[in-house]
Amino acid sequence: MQSFDHYVDQLTRRKFLLSTGHGMGAAALSSLFQAPAANGATRSNVGLPNFPHTAGKAKRAIYLFFSGGPSHIDTFDYKPELRKIHGIELPDSIRNGQRLTGMTSGQSSFPCVAPMFDFQRHGQHGTWVSELLPHTASIADNITIVKSMNTEAINHDPAITFINTGVQQPGKPSMGAWLSYGLGSETENMPAYVVMISRGRGQLQALYDRLWGSGFLPSRHQGVKLRSAGEPVLFLNNPPGVDRPMRRSMLDQLAKLNGESFARFSDPETQTRISQYEMAFRMQMAVPDIMDISKESEHTKKLYGPDVEKPGSFARNCLLARRMAEEGVRFIQLFHRGWDQHGDLPRRLRWQCEDIDQACAGLVKDLKERGMFDETLVICGGEFGRTIYSQGKLTEDSHGRDHHGRCFSTWLAGGGIKEGFEYGKTDDFCYNITENPVHIRDLNATILNQLGIDHEKLTFRYQGLDERLTGVEEARVVKEILA
Amino acid sequence: MNWKSHAPVFALFVSALAPNASAEGIDFNREVRPILSQNCFACHGPDAHDRKAGLRLDEREAAVELRDGVRAIDVERPEESEVLLRIFSEDADDVMPPPKSHKTLSASDKAILKQWIEEGAPYADHWAFVPVERPALPEVEKTYADWTHNVIDRFVLERLQAEGMKPSSAADRATWFRRVTFDLTGLPPAPADVADQVASTHPNADERALDRLLASPRYGERMAVAWMDAARYGDSSVMHADGNRDMWPWRDWLIDAYNTNKPFDDFTVEQLAGDLLPDPTVEQQIASGFNRNHATSDEGGAIPEELRVEYVVDRVKTTANVWLALSMECGQCHDHKYDPISQQDYYAFFAYFNNTTDPGMQTRNGNQAPLVRIFSEAQESQLAAVRKEIQTVETQLKEENPPEEEVDAWARKVLDGARQEPPVLGAWSSIGPFKGKAYEEAWKHDFGLEKEKTRRGRKAYGGLKWSKAKPEWKDNTVHVLAQGDGEVTYLGREIETEKETKGSLMLGSDDAIKVWLDGKLIHENKAQRGAARDQDQVEVTLKPGKHWLLVKVVNASGPSGFAFRWASQAYPEKVLELVKREAQESVEAQRKELISHYKGLAWPRGRELERHLRQAKDSEKALVNAAPTSMIMEDRPKEPRMTYILDRGQYDQPKKDQAISPDVPAALPRLPDSYPQNRLGLAQWLTMPEHPLTARVAVNRYWAMLFGTGIVKTVGDFGNQGEWPSHPELLDWLARDFVDFDWDVKWLVRQLLSSATYGQSSAHDTNTAESDPENRLLSRAPRFRLQGEFIRDQALAVSGLLVEQQGGPGVKPYQPENIWNEVSLNGGLRYRRDDGDKLYRRSLYTYWKRSAPMPNMVIFDSPSREKCALERPRTNTPLQALVTLNDPQFVEAARLLAERLLEDERSAQDRISRGYQLVTGRPATDEEARSLGAWIAEQEQLFKKAPERAQELLKVGDYPASDEHAPETLASWTLLAQLLLNLDETLTRN
Repeated sequence: MQSFDHYVDQLTRRKFLLSTGHGMGAAALSSLFQAPAANGATRSNVGLPNFPHTAGKAKRAIYLFFSGGPSHIDTFDYKPELRKIHGIELPDSIRNGQRLTGMTSGQSSFPCVAPMFDFQRHGQHGTWVSELLPHTASIADNITIVKSMNTEAINHDPAITFINTGVQQPGKPSMGAWLSYGLGSETENMPAYVVMISRGRGQLQALYDRLWGSGFLPSRHQGVKLRSAGEPVLFLNNPPGVDRPMRRSMLDQLAKLNGESFARFSDPETQTRISQYEMAFRMQMAVPDIMDISKESEHTKKLYGPDVEKPGSFARNCLLARRMAEEGVRFIQLFHRGWDQHGDLPRRLRWQCEDIDQACAGLVKDLKERGMFDETLVICGGEFGRTIYSQGKLTEDSHGRDHHGRCFSTWLAGGGIKEGFEYGKTDDFCYNITENPVHIRDLNATILNQLGIDHEKLTFRYQGLDERLTGVEEARVVKEILA
Repeated sequence: MNWKSHAPVFALFVSALAPNASAEGIDFNREVRPILSQNCFACHGPDAHDRKAGLRLDEREAAVELRDGVRAIDVERPEESEVLLRIFSEDADDVMPPPKSHKTLSASDKAILKQWIEEGAPYADHWAFVPVERPALPEVEKTYADWTHNVIDRFVLERLQAEGMKPSSAADRATWFRRVTFDLTGLPPAPADVADQVASTHPNADERALDRLLASPRYGERMAVAWMDAARYGDSSVMHADGNRDMWPWRDWLIDAYNTNKPFDDFTVEQLAGDLLPDPTVEQQIASGFNRNHATSDEGGAIPEELRVEYVVDRVKTTANVWLALSMECGQCHDHKYDPISQQDYYAFFAYFNNTTDPGMQTRNGNQAPLVRIFSEAQESQLAAVRKEIQTVETQLKEENPPEEEVDAWARKVLDGARQEPPVLGAWSSIGPFKGKAYEEAWKHDFGLEKEKTRRGRKAYGGLKWSKAKPEWKDNTVHVLAQGDGEVTYLGREIETEKETKGSLMLGSDDAIKVWLDGKLIHENKAQRGAARDQDQVEVTLKPGKHWLLVKVVNASGPSGFAFRWASQAYPEKVLELVKREAQESVEAQRKELISHYKGLAWPRGRELERHLRQAKDSEKALVNAAPTSMIMEDRPKEPRMTYILDRGQYDQPKKDQAISPDVPAALPRLPDSYPQNRLGLAQWLTMPEHPLTARVAVNRYWAMLFGTGIVKTVGDFGNQGEWPSHPELLDWLARDFVDFDWDVKWLVRQLLSSATYGQSSAHDTNTAESDPENRLLSRAPRFRLQGEFIRDQALAVSGLLVEQQGGPGVKPYQPENIWNEVSLNGGLRYRRDDGDKLYRRSLYTYWKRSAPMPNMVIFDSPSREKCALERPRTNTPLQALVTLNDPQFVEAARLLAERLLEDERSAQDRISRGYQLVTGRPATDEEARSLGAWIAEQEQLFKKAPERAQELLKVGDYPASDEHAPETLASWTLLAQLLLNLDETLTRN
């Protein structure tokens, strides 16, 4: 026989599911009857019934998101032929009448620019990697680089909203929120979806809460920002003067009084509230524990590079991402800002790459060493790429590049992705895709797939429509990159 | 998904709302339509483009038609119906819906379809599209005659009894009073008012309480919040920079509209088309800003037309969602999959909003025209006075004239001046660009050379040196300066003259310019403009000798450049021309013009009048600029913008073969011929008394606001995918009543709240927890968490901190650091917290920045308001606990609440009880008071042992702590107050 608490918990969950007021996919209904978590404890965010659909390769994902539009030309999408086109005018046959942003559409000349960096082949696979990314080059045999990513958006706000929420306009839930909704949380001490932001050294394009927001999904699914300064999670710390035993004693009183409230009204929400206050109390311990890297070995810290000692750096955030992955956080998303090099690219892109290179590679190596690589999907990329032609004047040692959505490069690793592989090809101008295009919807479908989700089945009924992350247009799981 | 194992429970769950196939006959709208819509319409419905096998099932005629020898629905031989063969098929290639669709029919769905076809497959028009009739009132059994207060109860009771259920007992009066007070004002009742209400023996005490609360100005503030969600109201522009905008006059209009009980039809017309009303008032124009609240962009690389189309798309979506509860937005790319809205219908609706004057690329700083200025009475009278003054001076200027000989003397002087030798101008050289932190900085900052009186060719300034001479920089031409945003270039040249020389520097610049002569600042113009010749004129008198001219050009953004020439006289060239011509031959008109120039330029009296006029005009301008503005709708006065179907919704793919005129969807009532074919006509159409949707949708939304869930649960969808109403006749009765009573919102709200249904106890009954877990049949009053604004406002109110000032610009109370600049463009935009009263205003006045909205509200499910939101989820999360426990706003409120409890001489238990009254409306039970009393005593001891901790806790928040109490006492009571603010009963509408 099930305990009364269990009954209440089920009831609560049911009431929660049914009272969100938006209606629900019929799928949600049967979660009432889902077995409790294997360890016997009931989880407050259990996800949808029968999710994941398949035993996903990955239990969680870490998304290293580079905001601003990193240049694919200067990092991964290299071909020696690029050297030959340096300085020539972009042929009309390549541009093909495609629209340009308002920042360069008025330019009278579109001189092509070969990368002003050296490239070498790396690893057994012989992957071309820029000199800007020596550490990433060292993991070339562990990752798949997709060189045929593409998006319709050509400006930051719509593009970054598109790749993170599936639609160019604001209003939809973010990928992490969808994952929290579908898969629930594996931990009772941390949110299912955590976001960390680091500043780069270039032009900082804006971010928006909607990129990790819950849109029309309940707010419990929104990404929780983990912050390097002030409280790591908003409002986490007790007020000054109130220590943990004092808070404990207050919560005990509160639970007793709220229990009496439950006795009077039998409202399952009251029981949920009591348990949510307990989870808050646990989070107050768990979060600082996760943020404290003092127990990490020197060996591990070295993997991420010297910046790991700086709170708020991308490197520190990468290490924290691994720690959260261990704790059971479902989706960890890092935003590194400053990839928008309209001018002065050779200098500024170098800075950006210095910020991230060792840490990206360190994360992959660390996951490998701990045996977490296979069950953790790592994604690394931005919202679009950059143009082959120079924005502004091309000089001997400097130039800029404008936004380019027709192709860009993103790499994936772990979580059932092929190791040492490249997918998709672009033309000699790194301008158009010539082989195996991967739309950002396809990328998102593939990410969900690796987490065991059929992207067509992760739906939520909102105002009469079964909404989903990948939207109504065709989206394809890129099977070719799966191990 | 395996439904079989859940089937019995499923049946149990649906029993309350959608009976299974039964002997009574199948009701198409209630039972069949939802199944067809969810499972079949996507391929066999209204969307002609994607329709499979040419079959549509949303219209009977098509469904029963003989096609290729088969009938989808065969009423003669039901068992031959292709629909049934397919849905019962076990063959994966044949079965419908196909496995690929991920849709499955339950056994009960199939049974319903089978019985329905056997019964002759009767169709009915979609319930929400048929006119609203006033249904007959249900009879009430004698036993319940006393229970019912009004017609609502009769409908609710009928349904409960049909299901073998009964209503709950009435809530106690204190609970009821707290409930209505929150529902009508968004704030808790004062304990004294609760006591009066409970003690009142007046036969109409409850009705009187409702009237009192409806008359409170707080009512408008409470009602406004939900409409602000729907109207996607914000204080920022959303996209890219997400800069400030001022739409708060619209928000204040809204509060006022609720408080003055503006009928819902006027409320509708003014918001959708206030600008098109004859001689619209300022208020009506402000109201039209409803459809300017949407997100706008200022992103440099954006394509304006793409954005402009996006704005229209948003207006269509919002208007259709809010007034029609239809997801019309689907029609942007294709015919609607579920509802009878074709792509043609969509663009006809789109056309109403496609004729506005606002541009695609909008400002990131303030309001984008079209807008209306709003003057207070004082401002208006000041303005009138200034304008009168201007008129007077202008008359004086016109009528007063200088003596003729003065004019002649002056003309001779001008001619003499023109005959001077021009000075010798050296070649320009330049230095820069200097990188400022930003434009403002760059404008102010001296990079080291601004005070210098000569060129110092060897000196380096921040690593930069003067360039070589640039003879190629010719005068009277615009030269490009290569510098980026916020960068500075200085230009310098020598000027030499033998005699004292008067003349003008004629300058152009992109953007701002400063000019020094011999180290002395002689001109500055913080312009933002493209460079052209002769934009600025600076009169100078050069003493004999060498001079050093230095020009600073500051670039705000984009390209940069400058232009220069010397003009040999201090007067405009046209004056010189005139004087020359006058010297040759005097003509009357010419003479008049000359006199007028003399008056403005040299005549002492004239110059005095000119100065006076300038001052008056400056004050006029200042007055005008000081008045707040609000963005409004405005249609193009001439040549309406043509609308075309956009292929796949793409802004640059108009199908130009057919222009689309504004019109309403074909499946809804026609637009009467007498209505104008513009937004005004659309608004009038929406509020026609016979419109099937507007009143139903509005009534349902107010119902959902007060009962927690709508009669139609899908408040934003009354289409085929919407949920069947729990009480269809009740909805129709209320909708009819609403229209017949002149769309009187207060009347509607009053009816809902005075019902016995509303007044029930909210205690759950374990018997109904299974059969009606959602309480859709209302066998008890709903119990739910208060919305975020109410929770914060309650804390402010019970602590006595609340500052009840209505309206005005958004305020910025406590917010954790770095919330804005962590995400803002270049990290530059920081939240500047207000202080004093602005920390304690009601939450609806909190500044709403939509890319980074107030965390302590978002955590409580406030939507970001980037898009229209018609309802809020109601979650229960640990982050919410952290807000009410740790947010300084709540900690400070707890301290003030503690002071309030400690105010008078009372026992600890009485104080605790008073605390309970403040936050829950009821006194504490003895047990509660006793146990909390003991707990406080313990906390007080703890603080006594560690007084510094008490001090720390009392320092939270700006409001100074009272020194009347021992710190350990106040601190321990602050903890108690925190506990009170976190009680389930406090956070909940009981």
